[in-house]
Amino acid sequence: MSARRIVLTSGKGGVGKTTATANLGAALAKRGKRVILVDADIGLRNLDLVLGLEKRIVFDLVEVVEGRCQLRQALIKDKRFQSLAILPAAQTRDKTAVSETQFAEVVAGLDELCDYVLIDCPAGIEHGFRNAVAGAAEAIVVTTPEVSAIRDADRVIGKLNERGLPIRLIVNRIRPDMVRTGDMMSVDDVVDILGVKLLGMIPDDEEVIDTTNRGEPIVLVPDSHLGEIFEKIARRLEGENVAFTTLTAPGFFGRLFGQRKAG
Amino acid sequence: MRELQEDPAPGSSSAPRRRGRAIVVTSGKGGVGKTTTTANLGTALALTGAAVALIDADVGLRNLDIVLGLEARVRNHVLDVLEGRVTLDDALVTDKRVPTLRLLAAAQTREKDDVDTEAMRALVDSLRDRFDYVLIDCPAGIEKGFTNAIGGADEAIIVCTPEVAAVRDADRVVGLLGNRTSIKLIVNRLRPDLVRRGKMLSVDDVNAILRLPLLGVIADEPGVIISTNKGEPLVLDDASATGAAYRAIAGRIAGTDTSTPEIPLPPTLFQKLGSFFGGRR
Repeated sequence: MSARRIVLTSGKGGVGKTTATANLGAALAKRGKRVILVDADIGLRNLDLVLGLEKRIVFDLVEVVEGRCQLRQALIKDKRFQSLAILPAAQTRDKTAVSETQFAEVVAGLDELCDYVLIDCPAGIEHGFRNAVAGAAEAIVVTTPEVSAIRDADRVIGKLNERGLPIRLIVNRIRPDMVRTGDMMSVDDVVDILGVKLLGMIPDDEEVIDTTNRGEPIVLVPDSHLGEIFEKIARRLEGENVAFTTLTAPGFFGRLFGQRKAG
Repeated sequence: MRELQEDPAPGSSSAPRRRGRAIVVTSGKGGVGKTTTTANLGTALALTGAAVALIDADVGLRNLDIVLGLEARVRNHVLDVLEGRVTLDDALVTDKRVPTLRLLAAAQTREKDDVDTEAMRALVDSLRDRFDYVLIDCPAGIEKGFTNAIGGADEAIIVCTPEVAAVRDADRVVGLLGNRTSIKLIVNRLRPDLVRRGKMLSVDDVNAILRLPLLGVIADEPGVIISTNKGEPLVLDDASATGAAYRAIAGRIAGTDTSTPEIPLPPTLFQKLGSFFGGRR
């Protein structure tokens, strides 16, 4: 059986690629899938931090490419999920240390070890982007409802189309209150502009800042609605038909009872 | 400054030679507010009468034009200039609101690898003869686009959010910047409520790692998203706290404001007790 190889990319930085990679990976692992997350951001790695695995790194992707260790030696098992592992990027090298072919070969080597390879792409559309995409057969574009992020996402979608990768969209950091007052684009607007299939929508939530700083996946936080959202995204990725619920700004009763809907 | 205010056409080739400051705005991590910072500081400096050129170094993923609301007015871009197709004057876009502000847009359909780092350095150098400030909006990452952006600058502003990932990336960039004459820090998107609850790094936490002179602190505010969508920098809004914070930073850059940066923090118990016992307010 061969693994699904999916790159998470955005063009613009800081829209939530790394957080989405970590949490989607954890959500898939929670469903019993074997998942390997690859940090393609050589020189500016962060996936290890988001999962709280930074102290466990011994070898990295560049060392695998240069034959200084075995692929399996460079994989770091997650602390919480047996079936989740990361392949960290090198921190003191730059992205040109690995060619597109070499990157694709490393990812191909993960094929028999897992069900999903999620590749965390660096910001931009330079060499690091080309490497990350070279290893993938599918793409998830992460964007936020802001003109600059959407313009960058549009440019990236063009580049992914050139390579014939199927694309799905995650709209991150939605603020329903601002959408309602017309100060933020709605998910429908974003989907209309970009013209790709929606995989998930995630509200802006301070919970992300805290769990990221602590290196803890959100799917493990009890009763977290963001955790639920990532579980839904994982199910959609698995081919399940999970309905999208409208993101609503919490009204008076919503605030009172802590109800929040999301997709 | 007075002389510059009287200049009828700042940045025009007939203007007297100056030796402006070239400052790169960079971060490592993307999405921390480099472009917003460049637009606001550029506008704030220009509002004082200084001649300011902003360069978007994010070839292929430009956004500074959008944040300034100038996207419809861009005709030529930095690669057109570097490759000799148009003159600098044909590529500089004059801001709608502040006449001493110019934008040099990035090419949208080209790659950062197309930019010759030395030619870019020479371009920044020639702009310094015509402008008081040349602010360079650096792309995310530390690839070719970063190298291009920092080449001509002898000063750097690091924009960092209070998040471990952003601090780690910023620290790496400080190392790569080497011996600039000045590297200063702006902490962006601080949420004092989260800091107080121990859910976000404080400015001190950030600077315990980075150890840079602090230019200023900007609190997180949804108004920034709205201003970006509108293409209207917040420094133009007298009622905006973010605008005021950016104006103060611009004053510190210009040397007209020597005050210590204000950190938007709710008072701690210790501070309250201190003032109760006659300590510093």
